Amino acid sequence: MSDQLPEVSDEPTVVTVTVNGKKQRALAEPRMLLSDFVRHGLGLTGTHVGCEHGVCGACSIRVDGEVVRSCLMLAVQVDGCTIETIEGMAKGDSLHPIQQAFQEEHGLQCGFCTPAMVLTTQRLLEESPKPSEGEIREYLSGNICRCTGYQGIVASVQCAARKIADQEAQQS
Amino acid sequence: MTSVMEKGPRPTQYIGARVLRTEDPTFLTGQARYTDDITLPGMAEAAFLRSPHAHARIVNIDTSEAEKIDGVLGVFTGRDLNEVVGKFTAGVPGRTDVNPQELQMIPADKARFVGDLVAVVVATSRYIAEDAVDLIDVEWEVLPHVIDPEAALEPDAPVLHEELGHNNFAHIEYKKGDVDRLFEEADHVFSKRFHAGRFSPSPLETRGVIADYNTASGEVVVWTSSQSPHLVRSLIAPPLGIAESRIRVIAGAVGGGFGEKCHVFQEEVIIPALSKLVGRPVKWIEDRYENLAASLHAKEIITYMDIACTSEGKFLAFRARYVGVNGAYQSYPWTALVEAMTTAAALPSLYAIEGVQYTIDCPYTNRCPIGAYRAVGRTAGTSARESLIDDIARELQIDPVELRLRNTIPNEPYVSLTGAKYDGGTYRECTERARDLANYDQFRERQRRLREEEGRYIGIAFVPSVEPSAWGSDMGKVNGYLASEIFDAATVTIEPDGSVSVTCGLHNHGQGIETSLAQVAADRLGVRLESVRVTMGDTRAAPYGFGTHSSRAAVVGGGCVLRASGDVQEKMAQMAANMLEVSAEDIEWYDGVASVKGVPTKTVTIAEVAAHAYYGGRSRPADLEPALTATRSYDPLETWPNSCVAAEVEVDIETGRVDVTRFWSVEDCGVMLNPMIVEGQTVGAIAQGIGGALLEDLAYDPETGQFLAGSLMDYLYPSATEVPEVIMEHLETPSPVTEGGMKGMGEGGLSVAPAAVLNAVADALSPLGVNVERSPLPPNTVLGYIREAGRAAEAGEG
Repeated sequence: MSDQLPEVSDEPTVVTVTVNGKKQRALAEPRMLLSDFVRHGLGLTGTHVGCEHGVCGACSIRVDGEVVRSCLMLAVQVDGCTIETIEGMAKGDSLHPIQQAFQEEHGLQCGFCTPAMVLTTQRLLEESPKPSEGEIREYLSGNICRCTGYQGIVASVQCAARKIADQEAQQS
Repeated sequence: MTSVMEKGPRPTQYIGARVLRTEDPTFLTGQARYTDDITLPGMAEAAFLRSPHAHARIVNIDTSEAEKIDGVLGVFTGRDLNEVVGKFTAGVPGRTDVNPQELQMIPADKARFVGDLVAVVVATSRYIAEDAVDLIDVEWEVLPHVIDPEAALEPDAPVLHEELGHNNFAHIEYKKGDVDRLFEEADHVFSKRFHAGRFSPSPLETRGVIADYNTASGEVVVWTSSQSPHLVRSLIAPPLGIAESRIRVIAGAVGGGFGEKCHVFQEEVIIPALSKLVGRPVKWIEDRYENLAASLHAKEIITYMDIACTSEGKFLAFRARYVGVNGAYQSYPWTALVEAMTTAAALPSLYAIEGVQYTIDCPYTNRCPIGAYRAVGRTAGTSARESLIDDIARELQIDPVELRLRNTIPNEPYVSLTGAKYDGGTYRECTERARDLANYDQFRERQRRLREEEGRYIGIAFVPSVEPSAWGSDMGKVNGYLASEIFDAATVTIEPDGSVSVTCGLHNHGQGIETSLAQVAADRLGVRLESVRVTMGDTRAAPYGFGTHSSRAAVVGGGCVLRASGDVQEKMAQMAANMLEVSAEDIEWYDGVASVKGVPTKTVTIAEVAAHAYYGGRSRPADLEPALTATRSYDPLETWPNSCVAAEVEVDIETGRVDVTRFWSVEDCGVMLNPMIVEGQTVGAIAQGIGGALLEDLAYDPETGQFLAGSLMDYLYPSATEVPEVIMEHLETPSPVTEGGMKGMGEGGLSVAPAAVLNAVADALSPLGVNVERSPLPPNTVLGYIREAGRAAEAGEG
């Protein structure tokens, strides 16, 4: 490796992303975290920041379908990507079945971990529509909740799985 | 957004029903506004420089390089801030055995712990502010430090605060009953030193403050992540030199508090002062390192405890010496005694004893200060006492559950030897129910078989408790705050369209009180829940209050809402009676409709009554004022919920790993407003207790004074895989002394879960001769215990 680091511009660049189905453009400095970009650049404050070192999971969003920790990525990395955040889940004033399940099974208290918990649940149920309790606990173990002791969350995920299965049964 | 309640049938009575939380859709859709979600025009951001040393004198601070960066609006040291803001004085009014402490907003002379405030930068962005922090050049003279609290009490220890001359914040003594005789004449005296660990709430949302100072009006609006917005307002006003009427404190959505955010912090003064200095709104959001290193720590106490008892296992007297392991300063306003003093007050718990004696010392050490964390004053003391009680059970070969039941007070109201007025409960039944739920009669056989046949070590423990809740003035006094005056107030208003607004000085940050207080108002007013809107968190909108902490919200909030609703209801009845031409006593309200007793067809709706009140003019009775509103306050008498939990664990004796495999909880919090919320609070507190028992450790290196838990890779929260399902049951003994019969709840799990887990580990490992004397118990500590016991056994055989 040479001693000289390549010259890196700190000028803001335009980042173009498809956010919750809509194409958006915003400026980001090269060093800006994706979490800051989503929250303050795009104004989507439903994504929360709990530790900024990738442990608590509160900043989780979906980038091209995968659940990622937005505090561990830079905004410029998502140029051209598709992003989904909690703001895209409900249809108008009707909650997504996962959101309904979290209310019905008391899966939240202070609400800070909730958006990421809901998005992670969505991904889990895509991968495994009928997860066991152990599978749910394992899958959500990267998302910290300081309030609920997880019991309400586990019940919410089970309830959401039932709701989605019922919905699909009705549609088919 | 449609709530699920609206789709379901209406319960006959809202109080006691599992009403789904009305606040949930806002959180679930990402529309809640936490402090960092607020952006104001022209807003600047602040970042702090914090001390890298445990104890060091500030010789010089050079801020010139930091000030040169583009976007930096100002760099301020403690000396700069001392010129524009006053100080806090932290003490316990009414006590002469406590040495009050003056707190500078940023210490100008020296740093006293790793993370102590040194300077602050305001810049156009947080990124730039942090760049500038890195360029502040501090010349330090490193001083000797002290981490060990018992060493801090020695005469040759480094002194943290020269003006005090020693390190002891308080020395408190208390004695009741003929304790010396009881100890002399006892068949047995059992003793133990127990060192309960240092952990903290570390809410998922860290602290954060935004201030917007208006130079024209001299008013300031402060957004802060707080459990107690009015308390913040009252306590930041003097150092800022601004009248309370010109300070508006808003605590919007708060991502967990657990006691940490019921204090008032230096940053809540500094940020408003900076807004005035730079002439812009200023935001500061604490990062996780700051939160772990420098917000508040909690719980750590070294307890020396003695129990005098008879050969039959009858407890005669408890004696304890508490060393409350404070940090470098007092937390404000409660001080570090919020832990040690309340621990001492809870020493007798629900045991019938004849004598009690304690002393408290509260030494400064070069660590982060100690503040309140859920179940403050119970976690450490309960662990020490209940650990010793299990030791006694093993020594006297009495079953530990039976030993506790033998010594449990009767169910009737009872005054403890520390002066606590228990308001009656199910002190025995909770323990008996927990024992039955856990199938304890079959456990010992299963435990023996697994150990002998499979080499597996499982253990169980039961921990009962009675605990303070719903802090009002009396509860403050019995816990040592001799001058405490604490109450809350609520305003209930029927708006002109017949909808209902409720507001109070409490704060909703997970407790579901937006819903449960609406249940209370709806029942008392006789209206539908959907017509009631409860709002909190804005000192300009809400009447005065002390905020949500100490299991207060259901009892104190419920009490003032009941009172205010009662007053409004009386006026509604008079208005309705006037409209229906009957007497007010004959009016009944249900679902927002007033009807005449015995004449169900003669009705008028609340919207019609409200219109009559507000716009009725001369048709309204001349002696009734138009507005349908009332504000009432409530300062409850002491109320003490009780519970018993049981934990089952399995210990891997090869690795030292502890798994909490099963957990039971039976609690009695009097009248339950919403059992779903009660259960959520119960499990949440138990999970935090499991964290404190096994995982969470705010450790310092005694040699260097460095903080060792500065990230979530070092400070371990329980995740979904560490917390088992909790089996719960409720008993319900209405309090005879509170409005509505509610007792506070929400903290209990953290009082007793750590003791239950620690005792269950001790139970599992007792065949190996292990005795547990500290928390937490990470695998290396457990392995250490096992090896130590093995060596002792070998030495005994040799």
